[in-house]
Amino acid sequence: MGGYKMKKKITIEGMHCASCAANIERSLKKVSGINSANVSMMTRKAIIECEDTVKDEELKHAVKKAGYEAKEIENC
Amino acid sequence: MKQKKLKIVKMEKNMRDMNHSKKDKEYLHNHGETPEEKEIEMWKKKLIWGWILTIPIILIMYILPLIFGMMVFSSEVMLLISLTFAFPVIFIVGLSTLKSGFRGFISFYFNMDSLIALGTVVAYLTGFLQFFLPVQDYSGVAAMIMAIFVTGKYIEAKARGRAGQEIRKLLEMGAKNARILRGKTEIEIPISEVKVGDIMIIKPGEKIPTDGIVTKGESSVDESMVTGESLPIDKLKGSNVIGATINQDGILYVKATKVGKDTFLAHIIDLVEEAQGSKIPIQKMADKITNIFVPSVLALSILTFIGWSIFGNFSSAFGASIAVLVISCPCALGLATPIALTVGSGMGAKRGILIRKGEAIQTMKNVKVIVFDKTGTITKGKPEVTNVEMGKGVKEKEFLEVAGSLEKLSEHPLSKAIVNYANLKNYKVVKNFKNLRGRGIEGTVLNKKYLIGNKRLMDENKINLKDFSKKIEDLEKEGKTVMALALEKDKKVLGLIAVADSVKEDSFKALKELHKRGYYTVMITGDNERTAEAIAKEVGIKKVIANVLPEGKSLEIKRIQDKNGGTFVAFVGDGINDAPALKQANVGIAMGTGTDIAIESGDIVLTKGSLTGVVQAIELSKATFSKIKQNLFWAFAYNTIAIPLAVAGVLHPVIAEIAMAASSITVVGNANLLRRKKI
Repeated sequence: MGGYKMKKKITIEGMHCASCAANIERSLKKVSGINSANVSMMTRKAIIECEDTVKDEELKHAVKKAGYEAKEIENC
Repeated sequence: MKQKKLKIVKMEKNMRDMNHSKKDKEYLHNHGETPEEKEIEMWKKKLIWGWILTIPIILIMYILPLIFGMMVFSSEVMLLISLTFAFPVIFIVGLSTLKSGFRGFISFYFNMDSLIALGTVVAYLTGFLQFFLPVQDYSGVAAMIMAIFVTGKYIEAKARGRAGQEIRKLLEMGAKNARILRGKTEIEIPISEVKVGDIMIIKPGEKIPTDGIVTKGESSVDESMVTGESLPIDKLKGSNVIGATINQDGILYVKATKVGKDTFLAHIIDLVEEAQGSKIPIQKMADKITNIFVPSVLALSILTFIGWSIFGNFSSAFGASIAVLVISCPCALGLATPIALTVGSGMGAKRGILIRKGEAIQTMKNVKVIVFDKTGTITKGKPEVTNVEMGKGVKEKEFLEVAGSLEKLSEHPLSKAIVNYANLKNYKVVKNFKNLRGRGIEGTVLNKKYLIGNKRLMDENKINLKDFSKKIEDLEKEGKTVMALALEKDKKVLGLIAVADSVKEDSFKALKELHKRGYYTVMITGDNERTAEAIAKEVGIKKVIANVLPEGKSLEIKRIQDKNGGTFVAFVGDGINDAPALKQANVGIAMGTGTDIAIESGDIVLTKGSLTGVVQAIELSKATFSKIKQNLFWAFAYNTIAIPLAVAGVLHPVIAEIAMAASSITVVGNANLLRRKKI
């Protein structure tokens, strides 16, 4: 079992309103293994807490599904 | 020859490149166009084209016929003109909005654009519908809606950029280049290529490239940009310096200790960014509404259309339902909190106040009691000599010469205080030096054996302190630690040295301000009661809890919290030893100086080690929170009044769109007004 918690920061492109942030949050929270997602339209970044089993690809896909693009994912 | 050197430098550069990740570099080199600037530029272009194409429609369809009563063209030609000009406004200028909006209908991730996209496209299509049905042509209106929409977005983006200006300044603050010492030559390299261990040379007026430790040179450094401390700080060999601060008057040689993402500045930026994205409880309701807002409005718009089609006519059905779509403004609701938080945390960052958790600004208003740690928070945390009392016929210079030379050999903090105070150029030779645990020290200078220490040491050596007993009592009442210097042979006391951990210059002022605001203050310390009471009296603290072990601090805080059926407590501590207490408190304020801020503890971190920061942090929190409340109130009020009016068909779609644009601009603009607050 993974179970190791980590924190990631996703830089997102194409966000321009508050409902955008809410959408991305909703989409990210659907990914299994993500414990919390916090999207800020002010910083254009999402900060998520997830299990280490969550792959960056899954995150990118979730952002894309909501209609936006994940430009960069970093561990913090 | 020169070429050869260049080649070596270049090779070296390539090798360094391998050791630096691409990300590290992007992070530091991202000084080009920011995403905000790009967005503003995009909306500006759309705005210009939108109005170039929309103004003719307004002229021909409204101004000429309605104001001048001139019907230049027949209604068929007018319709054609309107359809022709409006097309590019909606489908080219508005393309990105349509794309983003209609994608929502497929993915069920609706956003603000979904409303505008549907509103404008439906409005435009009424122009064609006119050929088959007796409806009003809204195609011109569609163009106007889109033009106003992009204008609103442009203004909003600019205002948002202003809101985030402090953090952008932080990002841009880092040095771009560094001059480093390579063997004996100085070379200038981009900051991203500086490695830990490099010796950087910083001339007066230059920025210190990255965090490091001074290896040579002396200067004063302006650290105001990262700590908010306005006075320059003296730096000499062994001092820590912070990247992005400015060297004032001397040349400094600095060994780089942290680079890239590990630097103090990078940490501050991370912290501020995280805070700006953090959620505040008051926002929860708004977030919930934002989440279901767009689908609800879509449904409401359809109902409006059906209602008006049955009880009115198609024209008013279209008018009202389009108005509902375009007047609804989830942005005002969704932006209300984050925009104010961004302005507030940015203002804080500039003053050395880092709001780590947005929640703290909401909790702050309930705080009634502020508990302070003593050492390092109210006091400087470093003992200093406060009094020197010489016996009859003893010269101060000689007295300090002996005391300084003896104490130089001891590592005790009290000894260091004496050495610093004596500040000797030349030390006397000390023989037979001995540390006497818990009592003091002894040693021989110029064949005379001296003792420095407390009463116990003097008693053990049968040295009478009688002549000084009144003085000693007075000093000890003030919470000071008193030591005597005596000659062993003739049992003569030469004088006294009193040492105390003195109070920071502005602690008194800060506490006075807090009392003025009605806070009850408590000091908690591991020190004995007498010392603690003396300090408390000096700064005006109301209550003292002394003799508390470090582990006991959080328990004491819990005890205060449980009083009167729940009291909100803020704790101010140094963040290193006080982490549990910072966590236990409702608001934990961690104090740090320079680079040693403990980022993980504390809801609010003060980078400058002064208590006035606590007052500022409270003021800032309260001001930011009241802005948030104003914004949320405005956004709720706007939507609850405007949407029913649109449903009722009272509002023309163009007026509706103007109202919508104005509402989100108001929210952002209002948040920017926070800056006027003096903190």
